Amino acid sequence: MQALLSYDQSPPLAAPFRFFLTAPVFGILAGLLLLASGPDLFASRWTPAALALTHLMTAGFMLQVMLGALLQILPVVAGANVERPLRVASAVHLTITIGTLLLVAAFLSFAPLLFNLAALLLGVGVLVFVGAAVRALSGVASTGYTIAGLKWSLVGLAVTVGIGVLLCLALGFSLNVPLLTLADVHLGWGFFAWATVLLAAVGYVVVPMFQITPAYPEWFARFFAGTLVLLVVLWSLAELAASVADSALAATGMARAALLLGALLVALAALFALVTLAIQRRSRRARFDATQHLWRGAMLSMLAAGLLWLAAMSVPRIGEWPGWPVLCGVLLVFGGFSSVIVGMLYKIVPFLIWLDLQNRGQRRLIAPNMKKIIAERAMGGQMLAHFAAAILVVFAALWPELLSYPAGLALIVSHAWLLRNLLAALSVYRAHGAKIDSLFAGEHAQ
Amino acid sequence: MERAAAERVIDGREMEPPEPFVQTMAALDELEAGQTLLLRLRREPFPLYQALERMGFAWKAEVAAGGDVDVRIWQATDRKEN
Repeated sequence: MQALLSYDQSPPLAAPFRFFLTAPVFGILAGLLLLASGPDLFASRWTPAALALTHLMTAGFMLQVMLGALLQILPVVAGANVERPLRVASAVHLTITIGTLLLVAAFLSFAPLLFNLAALLLGVGVLVFVGAAVRALSGVASTGYTIAGLKWSLVGLAVTVGIGVLLCLALGFSLNVPLLTLADVHLGWGFFAWATVLLAAVGYVVVPMFQITPAYPEWFARFFAGTLVLLVVLWSLAELAASVADSALAATGMARAALLLGALLVALAALFALVTLAIQRRSRRARFDATQHLWRGAMLSMLAAGLLWLAAMSVPRIGEWPGWPVLCGVLLVFGGFSSVIVGMLYKIVPFLIWLDLQNRGQRRLIAPNMKKIIAERAMGGQMLAHFAAAILVVFAALWPELLSYPAGLALIVSHAWLLRNLLAALSVYRAHGAKIDSLFAGEHAQ
Repeated sequence: MERAAAERVIDGREMEPPEPFVQTMAALDELEAGQTLLLRLRREPFPLYQALERMGFAWKAEVAAGGDVDVRIWQATDRKEN
């Protein structure tokens, strides 16, 4: 990847792009895994294939884009420059890519060595990233809710991966820890404190900016990130206390507290989705573009996941059905976060390419129109493929025998198409970059 | 205290990126020595600062009432005390 993008200027395009181009490959692998494992994958959230699929999407697809985008968002949005960004990007990209592949292999084989190696690589990769990001942000005052949110999200990332590493080591060395509770706490931190807090922090900037909407309301942005993280801390303590309580009474009390705190967390995340939908309705754009549809689909999917959680907690028949956590996870990962990530890539990638070419052309060669860097039709087509895949995976959780193979195929198609769109953007970048190089080379020769 | 009026004003608050950047570049092409360009945005334009530095412009950003950011830009050779 480095050879393709050797342009060396701060913030260099090569730093985030290696993450963006790797992400859809994990999506394709998720589709292949679904084809290989078939309907059995959906039997419960604890099947080896379900755990492998979850991590292909979260540690593979989602984490790649989130870290790659953060490398650019920190300087562009917060003015926080990551030192030696290319070196950080190389180290983080290599370790989390191999670490995720090892983790997936570990879930499929349950080989202790693979869990330990995955823990080492993912732990080191994320530690290097968080260290670089904290250094970059250390000189930046939390002047806005975005910067404060970015800082909170890094705490969320560190704790999520910290618990993940502990879980891997527990499996690798057969340690005696409450595995299932820790897995829930890992998921809670990853979903709420890392992903949702980051999404909101970035959303405060990119939703009004790219979707021409009013700003997120002040009352919401002020309390959201800090409250969500505080609730995750309290909820985690209640969950852990319930799992180690030595009397049935204490365990029941703690479980009730965890349920109440969990309900507040779900309500708060749902509030973010509702506020986003509300300001999206006030967009001044005449016709929604792909990014807006993807954001709206994501928010509706997150709301559906929240309603399902509520139903499972209050209706025993649904709560006893082993498929509900699978369906809830699928709604969040495939319908929610994947959609919003694809939507953001369609703004971030053309913007970064445009900015880089604009700077390199030094006003002598005008950068191509940002809207032409990825063709609108290509984005619209891929968006439909993405929604079709997400819907098929959601319904495959309900009817695995019928739909798991079509869902796997659809995932491969949508991610391959995403990769093609990103590569098309890269070829625009390279063609225009070559024009700039020959223009300046010609002048030097004269 | 009210500042001296800028010779050119771009209100980028309702524009989709990179429109404010593009318009600023075009306006700077025509900005004469001693003149000031005022760019009003919803947030600080960090990528713009890099370009301004390369192009030999100086700037000062100020947060206005309501959280909007006013960026005043002038030629670095002006040595203006803004």
